[in-house]
Formats: sequence, C-alpha cells, structure tokens
Amino acid sequence: MDTLEIKNLVVEYTSDDETVHAVNGVDMVIPSGKTLGLVGETGAGKTTTALSILNLVPEPQGRIVSGEVFLEGGNILAMGEKQLQAMRGDRVAMIFQDPMTSLNPIQTVGEQIAEGIQLHRKVDAKEALRQAIAMLEMVGIPGDRAMEYPHQFSGGMKQRVVIAIALACRPSLLIADEPTTALDVTIQAQVLKLINELREKEKMSMLMITHDLGIVAEVCDEVAIMYAGRVVEQGTLEDIFDNVRHPYTRGLFDSLPDIENRRTELKPIKGMMPDPTQLPPGCPFHPRCDYARPECGQSMPNARRLSNTHLVRCHLYNHTTEDMLGVKADA
Amino acid sequence: MIEQTAKAYATRKEFYRQFGRKSRGAQMRRRFLKNKTAVIGMILFLLIVITAICAPLIADYKGVAIKQIRSERLQPPSARHWLGVDEMGRDVLARIVHGARISLVVGILAIGVSLLIGGTLGALAGFYSGWVDNVIMRAMDVFLCLPDVLLALAIVASFGTSQVNLIISIGLAFTPKMSRVVRAAVMSVRSNEYVEAARSIGARNGRIILRHVLINCIGPIIVQVTLYVANAILTVSALSFIGLGIQAPTPEWGNMLASGRDYARDAVHIVMAPGLAIFFTILSLNLLGDGLRDTLDPRLKQ
Repeated sequence: MDTLEIKNLVVEYTSDDETVHAVNGVDMVIPSGKTLGLVGETGAGKTTTALSILNLVPEPQGRIVSGEVFLEGGNILAMGEKQLQAMRGDRVAMIFQDPMTSLNPIQTVGEQIAEGIQLHRKVDAKEALRQAIAMLEMVGIPGDRAMEYPHQFSGGMKQRVVIAIALACRPSLLIADEPTTALDVTIQAQVLKLINELREKEKMSMLMITHDLGIVAEVCDEVAIMYAGRVVEQGTLEDIFDNVRHPYTRGLFDSLPDIENRRTELKPIKGMMPDPTQLPPGCPFHPRCDYARPECGQSMPNARRLSNTHLVRCHLYNHTTEDMLGVKADA
Repeated sequence: MIEQTAKAYATRKEFYRQFGRKSRGAQMRRRFLKNKTAVIGMILFLLIVITAICAPLIADYKGVAIKQIRSERLQPPSARHWLGVDEMGRDVLARIVHGARISLVVGILAIGVSLLIGGTLGALAGFYSGWVDNVIMRAMDVFLCLPDVLLALAIVASFGTSQVNLIISIGLAFTPKMSRVVRAAVMSVRSNEYVEAARSIGARNGRIILRHVLINCIGPIIVQVTLYVANAILTVSALSFIGLGIQAPTPEWGNMLASGRDYARDAVHIVMAPGLAIFFTILSLNLLGDGLRDTLDPRLKQ
C-alpha cells in the first residue's frame, strides 16, 4: 500500500482583503519505503503541502479548501482532533527547517525526545527517558548529554536532536522540511547521511522538501517540481535529471553552476515568482517561459503522462511526448 | 532496536549518578546561590517573613501594638521606642511587626488569586486567539475601565469585610491587569517554532500551553507579579482608609501610612516606617523574582 497519497489538494490563506492561493491542486503518491523530493522556489507551496499532511495548516488564516490526504489508506482530513493527535508524531513526523528555533530552550533535549515517546507509547517517564537516550545515541550524540539544554549543542547537533524527536516513535512517513538549509555545508552532508541511513534502517517513507537539486540527487527516488502551488513535473530521478521536459525544471537546472565548465554563465529564469494573491491566468509560469504559446495564457495545462513514471503539466506536450525544449517559440 | 542500545537508567537521579552530574534540582540550587542579588533578596524576604511569624515574641499585641499612651504621642525614635510613637501614642515598631502579618498575607495571596484566575484567562486568550481572545479580553477590558480600588470596593462591599474577602476582592481587582500581562507574554511565545514542533508530535493543547508556552513566559510574569504585590498592599490601605479593609486598631502597613500622612511634617518617622517596610518587601520580592527567573532560564547559565 502507498504510504501517502494526496489528491487534488487546495489550500488558501485568507486575510481581510486578499486570498493567497498557496496550494492549487496537488497530487502526489509516495510508495512505501520510497523518498519523494519536493522541489520549488520559496513560496511555491512546499511547506504548506507538508503541513496539510499533518493537518496543521495554521488556522484561522489557512484553510484546506478541498482535496484528500490518505495516510496508509486513511483520510487524514476526515479525522477528528483526537485521531490527529494520535497520528502526529506516531505515524507521521516532521523535521523542521531551523533547529535553532524548533527546540524548546528550557527543556533538556532528553525530555523533549521523551515527550513524543510518552505521548504515543504506553510507557512511564523513566522508560520514555531511557528510550530517548537510546534515540540520542542512535543519532550519534553521547547519551550522557541527554540532560543538557539545546543552547549547549551546536547547530548540527541540534538538528540531530530534532531528527531524534521525529524518529522516536518510528513513523511510517517522515517529512523533512529543508532539514539542512540552516546548516553549513559540511554538517549538511553528515545530517543527510544520517537521515538516509536511519530511513533505510527503519524502512520509512520520506517526503524531502528542498530547493537544492543536489540533495534530491543524493537522497530521493522520485522528484516532484512545484511551481505556484502546483506540481509541474514529476518523475523518477532519471526522468527529471536526464529527460527534463518542463521549461521550469529546465530553468532550475540552468540556474545551477557547472563545476566542470566554470566559464559558462548562469542562466537564471527571467522574472519573479508570481504574486500568489494574483496568479496569472492560464499556466502560472507562462510570463517567464521562453516557450510560451498563445494557449499558455488562456488555459491551465493538464497533467500529462509521458511514461509510467513521468508526469508533466505543460501545453508543449499536448500532442507529443517528445522533448520539446529544443524547439524555441517563434514569438 | 531500542532494547539493544538503551541503557537502563531507572530514574533521572540514577542517570545523573551514572554520569557524575548533579540532579536538576541541585543544579538549579547552585545556579540560584551563585546569583548574589537573588540571595540578598531571598534573605531579606525570609527576614520579613520570620519577623511576621515571630511578631508576638518581639512585641506584645495587646500590651504594645494597640495600646495607646497619650503622653508619648508623636515621640521620635528613641531607645525605648526604636521607631518612635505614632499619633495615637502607639509603638510604631510593634505595629510594623504585627502589620507585616496582614500586609504580607493579603498582598501575596491576593496576587496569587489574580495570577490563578487572570493567568489562566490570559493564557487561554493568548494561546487560542480568535473569538476566545475576543470574548475574554473584551470582558477584561470592561473591568479594566474601573480603577482597581473601585472594583475591589464594590466586591468587598457586597461580600462583607473579612480578611478572606479582602484577599479575594483584591485578587479579582487585579485579574484584568494580570490577564493582559500573561496574554501578551503567551502571544509572543506562541508563534515560536518549537510550539509548532510540539504540535507535530501530537501534543494536546493543554500540554503545549503548560510545558512549552507558559514555562517560557515566566520572566515577564514574575517581574509584574512582584510589582503588583506592592500595589495590592497599597490597595488594602486604600480600602482600610474608607473602612472596608482592615478595621481600625489592627495594624496594617497601608493603614499606618494613610493615617500618619497628616503628621508627616512634624513626625516623619510615622510614615517613614511603614513606607520603608513596604519598600523593602517589594525590593526583596523583586530581587528574588529576578533571581528565580534567571535560575529557571538555563540559557543564562555561566
């Protein structure tokens, strides 16, 4: 059974005079034991999608307008508060972006890891603390540091603690929301390696949110590229890295520096992310797209299956599955 | 797998013994004792409390504290009367010492009541925001329109005067202010990512409020509480002044301050003594509160 299946998820944030269309119909599937990378610019709706899986979209501004989120077959959006609390941390857990702020400054790290264990396993405080210490050692921190406070740890170690909290109850789905963004590069590698090892050991599925394609190549089985609240291209690593189809994904790759040929200039995608309160009509990417055609400004392209694994949402592929990125628009 | 790596530490104490660390209580005690001003505050406060408890040993209540000797009225401090004699011919020291029993108890318990009620309401309003916040805080705003004294007056007048009613009414009078303080502190902590993180591991709201939000709000709350104790003591005096607080011959600091006011030019010791008594009480509570806050916040550990 698939660990996670999201169908047509729509999430909005409303304030007094405007509506932010954060997620506009996202579909995704994470098969058991697999890792899906969710890639996109800041504001593309990645974190909102992740929070929807825990049904933790901040209320009252945020609202899940429609859609379904199935976790191991059960619809999360239909659960009551009690069921949700039982699910959070036990079956789905989240690693937050910034370890500096996601730990309670005045509780020891041991207590914070033990909290989740105590909430979901019927164990007393002693046993929870014992398991917390075991978790701490599993992420590579000596157990005798369990009674120290977060400020006594370095950034990388704090993120290890956050990972220990997330994994404490052996969730079947781990959501990692840019887990290495706040860390420096050498520590990033360690933390990624750790996440990967533990995930394989516990046979967890994972949703890896990132804007770093390097991380995706290293950690993920499949990739979904998000733009303006929609998945524009999705496929296996080979589909995305070797057979790019969507102009936006192409643009992302062109924005990466080429380590072998340092003289090449970067080709950033022109323009800016559209304002999510006023998305352009049709395909939201068309104002920035080199391949835009007349129909791109008029209608939203449907997601089209190019192969068993490869999905793309672009008018270029309405009549073909061939690579259209070599053919420039005439305009 | 847990079983393989877990070491059996039966309790936290045992855990510390294993690793040669001091238990958390001992750590906190040490941190508190290292803080000089906090220790001074604590000693001062304990002295005041001990004085209040031992009042009958220091001065006889009937024989000295409320006995009026007309011939000695308004006498300045002397060897016989260390703090002088008041306008009715009563020994000021004896009255200060006995007054401590009432002022301390009423002041501290009243703020305790307001912290319990106002703190709870403020925490709920700050945490849930939205309509809960609106309902609670608009009700508090209505009460906030009335001066504390007037509010306490209305309550004590309808329940009758007794020490317990006085504590309750002053406590209720300070509830709106307290709820504002707690609400503001809670709102600033609520949006922290670790609160979201607690929710993401399935913690219930009650648990989040107590273990993650309130405990991080303790600093501003402690500071306000110590200041409000001073206000509460003065409110008692205001109520006593119009006959709804502590009744006439019973000594009480605010009362002494109020009645000595008319003689302040000729016999300054009459107002000086209770004024200083209130001052030192508040000072000690303030230093103590600051020290407690530093002790509870592990980030400040050297």
